[in-house]
Amino acid sequence: MKMHHRVGSIFWLIIGVYTVISAYRLGIGIFRRPGPGFIFFLASLLLIILSIIDLFIGKPKANRGEEFEPIWLGVRWQKVILVLSGLIAYAYLFDKLGFLLSTFLLMIFLFKAVEPTKWWTSILSSLITILISYCIFNLWLKVPFPTGFLGF
Amino acid sequence: MFFCFIGVVIGTLIGVLPGIGPVGAMSLLLPATYKATPLSALIMLAGIYYGAQYGGSTTSILMNIPGEASTVVTCLDGYQMARQGRAGPALGIAAFGSFIAGTIGLIGLMLVAPPLASIALRFGPPEYFSLMCLGLTILIYLASGSAIRAIMMATLGVIIGCVGQDPETGSMRFVFGVPDLLDGIGLAPFVMGLFGISEVFLNIEKRLERRSILETKIRGLLPNWQDWKDSIKSILRGSLLGFFLGILPGGGAVISSFASYAIEKKCSKHPEKFGKGAIEGVAGPESANNAAAEGAFVPLLTLGIPPNVVMALLLGALMIHGITPGPLLISRNPEIFWGIIASMYIGNGLLLILNLPMIGLWVQVLKVPYKVLFPLILLFCLIGAYSINNSTFDVVIMIVFGVLGYLMRKYKYEGAPMVLAFVLGPMLENSLRQSLLLSDGSFMIFFTRPIAAGGMIIAILMLISGIIPQLRKKVKAIPLEEEH
Repeated sequence: MKMHHRVGSIFWLIIGVYTVISAYRLGIGIFRRPGPGFIFFLASLLLIILSIIDLFIGKPKANRGEEFEPIWLGVRWQKVILVLSGLIAYAYLFDKLGFLLSTFLLMIFLFKAVEPTKWWTSILSSLITILISYCIFNLWLKVPFPTGFLGF
Repeated sequence: MFFCFIGVVIGTLIGVLPGIGPVGAMSLLLPATYKATPLSALIMLAGIYYGAQYGGSTTSILMNIPGEASTVVTCLDGYQMARQGRAGPALGIAAFGSFIAGTIGLIGLMLVAPPLASIALRFGPPEYFSLMCLGLTILIYLASGSAIRAIMMATLGVIIGCVGQDPETGSMRFVFGVPDLLDGIGLAPFVMGLFGISEVFLNIEKRLERRSILETKIRGLLPNWQDWKDSIKSILRGSLLGFFLGILPGGGAVISSFASYAIEKKCSKHPEKFGKGAIEGVAGPESANNAAAEGAFVPLLTLGIPPNVVMALLLGALMIHGITPGPLLISRNPEIFWGIIASMYIGNGLLLILNLPMIGLWVQVLKVPYKVLFPLILLFCLIGAYSINNSTFDVVIMIVFGVLGYLMRKYKYEGAPMVLAFVLGPMLENSLRQSLLLSDGSFMIFFTRPIAAGGMIIAILMLISGIIPQLRKKVKAIPLEEEH
């Protein structure tokens, strides 16, 4: 059985168990008058049953002796983590630094992080990007972006 | 005319660029419509909606990236056609099919709206519940992977969709003390994350130089006689199906495109060609999603009920301008109703003019190197998510579901059933609760009322026919594994 297949089924099984317990605590009511947890209870019960079926029956065998498909080999998952870190940092700094500065920093990071790009290209592209997006979204569409502690 | 043009151009561009969707785009542009007249505002926002349907098909065919959720299905055969050097006919038939479907949808809207509204009025909670179950089942039936996993994703979608304050009792459900979750998880950040952000992640992990925007010349946008012969029935079927499904609450364009694909596969003399470049697999769904976009206006304009999030945004725009859509709209504000109809005719024509000759321009947009494109896509998604409620929380939600969508795709779980179930979840729960209240707790209500019973029986039969063969295959495989 494929290892990653088991990982997925176990993960959803855990989610299902957590949800069914939480739904029960919310109150499932009675059939005549379902409570706030009713739909969650039904859905998570179904999720548990299907996860167990998926876990034990699973995919048809493919290559004998192979425990897992190399879904993480030969791909640059590190780049994904890098970009994800950038996005998380952006979400955190957005209100603190303001739209202009945080977006500028994010754009430079994204232009540089994944593929080799010259510094001046990244900076210029970032400046053009934030200028255009500021004009469109803030000036024209009046989206109220935060200004941050620097006041812009 | 100006607002119509702006709307369709922006809509097509939004549809072409993967990541931000019509919901995000309409949210961004909603404040810009405050100074316009109600009719102009509605025309522009509507233009974005059906323009995005057109534009989404371009990226589906050329990049195998669905521009919108309703163009996911177009990837299946459209991209394969492009790989076979038939990107032109694929794009052409998508544009023409959309135009024909849009026109049919408009005729339907004009002629059929009043009697349709009266039929829909007879639907009660059990009918809505069974139709929504049927809609989900169709999607699960279409799952290219495991049906069991598709149902798992659908149940998860219902759970996620119902997060928030219970409308009946006021209980906090899975909000974890976060005030932003009281109103639930927003559809726009959810979809943008699950499809847009995850797609960017999947592309980034490969070498970007080798990442192909399909290197093919777009030749011959006019479909040939054989293409028309193969597609015309699909276009007509898709148009009718899409229009009627668009009226129903829930997926609208999404469910109609999937349903159309399933029907075309069933009706085809060569179903084995589907997924390998069958033109019917492009013509049917593209027509269906455009017709559904028109059909979705029926309940909004005649009943004042938005069948999906996009229509809910339009309802909000109308109410901001002091107009209440409903059965009296035609008599009290005929200029709104007929103005929208007229703008759609013009809009359909504009989209055909934009999409065919300007495909070269859209392709140039797509040919921008991905290392330049992906930061822009991410930025648009981030701004789009933020601008919905001017809240960073929506940005966080989008990132979280971006990660989930990425992992789901790596581990072969499909996102489409989750999205549809997410949209239908609250309505499903509401219908279920009301039905059980009506029936004094008996589930037989879903089998004693004719329309509801029909929907439930079809859904159950589809599930059985989809799952049991899979289970049998897997159970038979286990002894073979154990022998070795």
